Amino acid sequence: MSMSFLISVLSHLPIYVTTIYSVIIYQKLQRELKIFSWLLVITGLIQFASLLLALRGINNLPLLHLYVPSGFILMALFYARVLNGFIDVRIIWITTLIFIIYTVFNSLFFQGIFTFNSNALTVESVLVIIFSISTYMLFLTDDIKESKKDILSSLNWINSGIFIYYLSNLLIYYFGNIITGPFSQQLNLYTWVLHSFFSVVMYFCFFVGLWNHPRT
Amino acid sequence: MESSQNINFFEVLFPLLLIVFIIAVGVVLLTQQFRKNIYLQKLKQEELKNSHQTEILRHSIEVQERERKRVALDLHDELGAALSITRMHLLQAEKLHGHLSATLLEDLKNITHLTEISLTSMRRISHELMPPQLETFGLVKTLESVAEQLNKTSKVSLEINVQPSMPELKWAISLAFYRIFMELINNTLKHSGASKISIDLFGNSNIISANYDDNGTGIAAKGFGNGMGLKSIEGRVNSLGGSLIYGISKQGGFSVSLTIPFAN
Repeated sequence: MSMSFLISVLSHLPIYVTTIYSVIIYQKLQRELKIFSWLLVITGLIQFASLLLALRGINNLPLLHLYVPSGFILMALFYARVLNGFIDVRIIWITTLIFIIYTVFNSLFFQGIFTFNSNALTVESVLVIIFSISTYMLFLTDDIKESKKDILSSLNWINSGIFIYYLSNLLIYYFGNIITGPFSQQLNLYTWVLHSFFSVVMYFCFFVGLWNHPRT
Repeated sequence: MESSQNINFFEVLFPLLLIVFIIAVGVVLLTQQFRKNIYLQKLKQEELKNSHQTEILRHSIEVQERERKRVALDLHDELGAALSITRMHLLQAEKLHGHLSATLLEDLKNITHLTEISLTSMRRISHELMPPQLETFGLVKTLESVAEQLNKTSKVSLEINVQPSMPELKWAISLAFYRIFMELINNTLKHSGASKISIDLFGNSNIISANYDDNGTGIAAKGFGNGMGLKSIEGRVNSLGGSLIYGISKQGGFSVSLTIPFAN
C-alpha cells in the first residue's frame, strides 16, 4: 500500500468525524445547520460506500454520478435557506433544476457512469463558487451581521470550507479527463492526494463551523 | 511533453477564462439581487416605522381630543351649573335683602355681574375646547357659524365656499379640519393684519381638500415654521395620512392647501 493511497484513505476520517458530530448535535442545531448536516450525512454515506468499493477494487465512479446531483440539491437547500429573504430563492431552484437535468444528460450521453464526470463536477463547482462568493458578499453587509449574528460564525466557517474546496478542485475537475487520460498513473495519484488535502481542509472548516453553533 | 503540447489556448485556456467570467458575472448578478432586496427591506422597515409613528401621533391626538371633550363637558355641566345656581341665589338675595342697604345691593349686583362674566367665559372656553355644533351639525355649519361670529366684528371677513355635493365627513376628519382652520384663523388674526379670509372645501369619495387664503402680510411675516401652530397642523394632517403645502395667496397673503385621504 503506497503512501499516497494511505493518505487518500485517511482523508476520509475527517468526513466521518464531522458527519458523526453533526448527527450527535443535530437536535441543537438551527435550521440552516440542520440542512447542512443532511448534506454531511449523505456525503458521509456515499464516501463510505465509495471507500469500501475502492478497497475491494471495484469502480466506485457510479457513486460519484449519484453524489453530484444529490449533493448539489442539499447544497442548494442550504444556500437557499441562508440567502432566503435576500435573493429570490427561485433563482437557486431553477439553477438546481437545470443542473440536475444537465448531470442526468451528461451521465447518460456524454460521460457514462463508469467515467469520471468532470463536466458535471466543473459546472457544480462553478455554481457553488458563485453561491459561496455571493454569500461572502452578503455577510459583509451590516444587516446580515445584525440579523444572523448568532449563527454568522458557523455559516462563515462552512462557507469558507465550501469555497476553499470547490475553488481548489475546480481545476482538478476541469482538467480531470486530461489528468486521468494521458498523464502518468503517479501524477494522477498525486493530484488526488492534493484533492484529499483540500477535502480535509474543508471538513476541518465544517467541524469548526458546527462546533461554533449557537448554544443558547 | 506530447500532452502539454495538446494544451492550447482554445481547448483549455479559453474555456477556463469562460468559467472565471461566468463565476464573476454570477457573483455580480447575485450581489445586485442582495443589494436590491436589502434596500427594499430597509424601505419596508422605514415604512413600518413611519406608519407606527403616525399611529402614535393619531392616538395621542385622539386622547387629547377625548380629554378636551371631557374637560369641556365638565366645565359646562358642573362649573356651569354651579355658577348658574350661584347667580340665581345672588338674584334671590338681591330681591330679599337689597332693600336693607344700598351698599349691600351694590355689592350683590357686582358679584352677580362677575358671576355672569364667569359664566360667559366658561361657556366660551367650553365651546372652544369642543364646539357642540361640530358634533351635532358638522364641519360646514360650524365653520359658517364661526364666519358669522367673525364677520360681526367688521374687521375681518371670512368666506366659506363648500362644494355642493360634499361627501359626509368622518368625525376625525371634521375635527382635524376644524382645529386646523381655527389655528389658521387665529394666526391670521394675530399676525397678518388681513381683512379677508377665504376657505374652500371640496372633495370626492377618495380625498377631501381645502384651501385657506388670506390677504395679509404672507408667510414670511407670520414666522411660520418655528411655532407650535405649524407643528400642530402638520401633526394633525400627518396623523390622517394627508399632506399640506404652504404658499402665497393670489392677494399676496398666506395660503395653505390641505389634502386628506377620505379612507382615513
